[in-house]
Amino acid sequence: MGPLLANVFEFLFKYRPVVFENGRFVFGAPWPVLLLLGVGLVLLLFPLISYLRVHGRLNRLDKAVLTGLRIAVLGLVVFCLLRPMLVVATVVPQENYLGILLDDSRSMQIVDGENTRSEFIREQFGPDGSDLVTQLADRFKLRLFGFSESIERVSGSDELTFTGNQTRLGQSLDRARAELSTVPLAGLVVFTDGADNSEAPLNETIMQLRSRGVPVHAVGIGRETFDRDIEITRVEAPRAVLQGSAVAVDVMIMHSGYSGETVQLNVEDGGRIVSSQDVELPRDGEIATVQAHFEVEEPGPRLLRFHIPTEANELVEENNEREVLVLVRDRREKILYFEGEPRFEVKFLRRAVADDENLQVVIFQRLAENKFKRLDVDDPDELAGGFPTTREELFQYRGLILGSVEASFFTHDQLQMIAEFVGQRGGGLLVLGGKSAFAEGGYANTPVDNVLPVVLQAPVDDDTDRFFAELDVELTPFGQSHPVTQISGDPATSEERWAELPAVSTVNPIFDVKPGASTLITGSGDGIEDAVVLAFQRFGRGRVIAFPVQDSWIWQMHADIPLEDMTHETYWRQLLRWLISSVPDPVIASIPKDRVGLEERVTITTEVTDSAFLKVNDADVRAYVLPPSGVEQSLELEWTVEEDGEYVVDLVPQEEGLYEIRVSAERAGEPVGEAITYFEAAEPVEEYFGAQMRSSLLRRIADETGGRFYTPETVATLPEDVRYTESGSTVYEEKDLWDMPIVFMLLVGLVATEWGFRRYRGLI
Amino acid sequence: MILLPRPAILLLLGATGLGASVWSVSSAHDDASVRETVLKSEQDRESGRARLGREFYFTRAMYRGHLGRYPSWKVDFPKADVQFLIGVRRLTNIDAYEFENPVGLDDPDLRKYPFLYALEVGRMALSPGEIEGLRSYLLAGGFLVIDDFWDLDEWRNFEYEIGRVLPEYRIVDIPMDHPLLSSFYEIEEILQVPNRGLGAAGGRTWECWNPCDPELRGIFDENGRLMVVINWNTDLGDAWEWVEQPWYPWRYSNFAYKLGINMIVYGMSH
Repeated sequence: MGPLLANVFEFLFKYRPVVFENGRFVFGAPWPVLLLLGVGLVLLLFPLISYLRVHGRLNRLDKAVLTGLRIAVLGLVVFCLLRPMLVVATVVPQENYLGILLDDSRSMQIVDGENTRSEFIREQFGPDGSDLVTQLADRFKLRLFGFSESIERVSGSDELTFTGNQTRLGQSLDRARAELSTVPLAGLVVFTDGADNSEAPLNETIMQLRSRGVPVHAVGIGRETFDRDIEITRVEAPRAVLQGSAVAVDVMIMHSGYSGETVQLNVEDGGRIVSSQDVELPRDGEIATVQAHFEVEEPGPRLLRFHIPTEANELVEENNEREVLVLVRDRREKILYFEGEPRFEVKFLRRAVADDENLQVVIFQRLAENKFKRLDVDDPDELAGGFPTTREELFQYRGLILGSVEASFFTHDQLQMIAEFVGQRGGGLLVLGGKSAFAEGGYANTPVDNVLPVVLQAPVDDDTDRFFAELDVELTPFGQSHPVTQISGDPATSEERWAELPAVSTVNPIFDVKPGASTLITGSGDGIEDAVVLAFQRFGRGRVIAFPVQDSWIWQMHADIPLEDMTHETYWRQLLRWLISSVPDPVIASIPKDRVGLEERVTITTEVTDSAFLKVNDADVRAYVLPPSGVEQSLELEWTVEEDGEYVVDLVPQEEGLYEIRVSAERAGEPVGEAITYFEAAEPVEEYFGAQMRSSLLRRIADETGGRFYTPETVATLPEDVRYTESGSTVYEEKDLWDMPIVFMLLVGLVATEWGFRRYRGLI
Repeated sequence: MILLPRPAILLLLGATGLGASVWSVSSAHDDASVRETVLKSEQDRESGRARLGREFYFTRAMYRGHLGRYPSWKVDFPKADVQFLIGVRRLTNIDAYEFENPVGLDDPDLRKYPFLYALEVGRMALSPGEIEGLRSYLLAGGFLVIDDFWDLDEWRNFEYEIGRVLPEYRIVDIPMDHPLLSSFYEIEEILQVPNRGLGAAGGRTWECWNPCDPELRGIFDENGRLMVVINWNTDLGDAWEWVEQPWYPWRYSNFAYKLGINMIVYGMSH
């Protein structure tokens, strides 16, 4: 309810809405209520009978209107005689405490009104005092807190600096409640913009407050929408990529006041612009999602800066920029390609990736019945026993390509192991088309079928009538911006290039993908429409790609393809790189965020598995932390017990710059694995993102705890409102309602209406 | 080089069981089943269905040249091709089209067949269109096998013609430890495979004016990839063509099939 409406309400109903919300309605007449009701009934019957007996110029409508008006007047009188009242609990002055939490974070420095948000807090809680504080202090013992990433007791706003790096609203409420748990607490009042960025859910906090009967009154400072502002809301980039990989990063941009205008989104890697594109901003409040495409060349941790130049009159400049840390790996990733027959696909795939120093495709190929060939193996023993039969043997690879090899070649355990390779190990599985692949290879209802992104149809039994179609390929809308399909610079030219490519053939009729799977490329031709050419899905920890084409080499060999064309090579490299881009190592180290503030506690979490990717709980895990100064620090990680294979240790960065964390795990003296991760210790910038006043969050906290939501314009009523609570030491007050102005006005109005009606009808 | 009607060849192959050792590796197929397979394949061929979607086509290069009124590319055609394919299909699990597949060097469709066989290149005389077609084929990733040309005169002609196609690359010997010779069978010796009229009857195996040795040579690209395999002073095609004949020496046909399959498997994986 707005302030004007609240004033009108108070004028009509004598009390403010808060009294009605907290009060209990009762009749306070000294006589028995039933007696009064009986008398009232008799009084009501009197006009009814009188009017019914009157004859003459009155018609039925006149009688009904006049009778109704008279009954209403008499009913109102009876209601007043019953002495209606509200019984409301109010605090005993100076016997209760009121906790006041003042937001001390950076976002309070934003000037989205006439002054900074913090100015309001300074005015109210400054050394000169204010009416608000005076009125509150008349009724309560006040306890002031300043909060941002932590909470501290303060005596006034002069102790606040408004430089906190985070707003942890839930945690601050918890701590304030805990600190005041031993005194009669009438409630908590939080003065904040509500720009909570702790990522911790508030549910637990609200439940605790509600169960302990502590109302939270929230005073929202700031504007819910900015007049003119552009913000890079989110950047979704892979945490690690192989050197030389094409990277597609989703960037979400929100704005207000720039609808229809075009801005430039730049991506910088070490000060060099690697991507730049124009973005036309949508309507206010809508998010523009764009994809930035670029290649990462230099290995190591790369701090990528996504930046939109500041526009004129922007309210917050700091939110035009986001940094993302991407680890560019320079290592050779092994992929096993099992092909069930001699095929040109083997030759051309090998040629496509031959110059890629980061990919090693190990070929295991069946040339004839029980005759196999191995190519590009590391040592003579690799795959010497055939296709892997143990998890250790198979899980050493990061990717697996299955060509035209029938399901019956494998034992059930091997099929199950392939499914686990994806689901548990997190490996990438690519299934190629062929006469012994997919349904035609008998994979329906096998463990491998479960992980496939496509729906297998019943195979054609008759060998002479087998399916064959030549398909012209086309990108789906989703495929247009996917990193795998970027074969020519940017998405637009890539899409044109795909449309020019010669048809490929398939012997596997696949038209549907499973729920949750995504189709990147479809094919049409030979009377076939929208056959699946490239689709993928996540399964467990890994990815599965279906590419039911048997001759992608035609994109290299066809007469329409110029000799210097690199489409085939680029496609296969990107496909394989993306297939394995998120494959985990046996040991994984992670930091919850890329950018950590100085003195901010950060947890290093490490997951340790053995060579079969089974979680290890008895490992010795150490982290070697290399800060910018170069003085290495060693920390021992402890098993969390709650999660198998999870080890953690806390770290507090003391210097600004890039931290390298190398984690090493051993088991019984034998190395299990190593992992490396990075974070940047720098001044946090979260406070400038999503910095609009979040009234919805604050209203929710207030509503669910029994408090009220205010703004600086309505906060004057806070001292009075806070009185009405069941918390702390309270007494009950009776508030008469019979003398509400609305009652008098209603009475006069009814009588006047009756007189007017009679006059209108010529009865007087 | 005797041409027979195709059905007669196929029935003959089925009836003889192809005599040579290459057919003895599988005892599961008796003569009747071979005949049935051949007949069924013939029907498929007529309908065109069998051609669709195959992985491998034994593609023979049609090129300009001269051998009297008979084009030199057509020597041993199509019997050698079809008989060799029967062996390929029985000894490997290559999904090979059962019949011959001649394609002109200047035909854009040539690029759809990454394996190419050419013989009697001593009489080759390529047109500019053929030179361009073969060059782009090889540089794009095609694999060419040369067979059945003899002595220095024919060598010089081939060397001249291939020099017009790939002037920047040299012809070199393929060493005996090259993966080509172990891609399917382990081949430790390069035999001189004679034509039906010479060593097959027990006489000399060469067609040169003077005794000559078989040579296995090749052309590699700048990345060390083998583009062209040159079988000089030998006639693998005749061994494939006459393998079913009891009088054709097992030793030669066995070697010709082994080397032929090795070249295909290598060409499909390297």
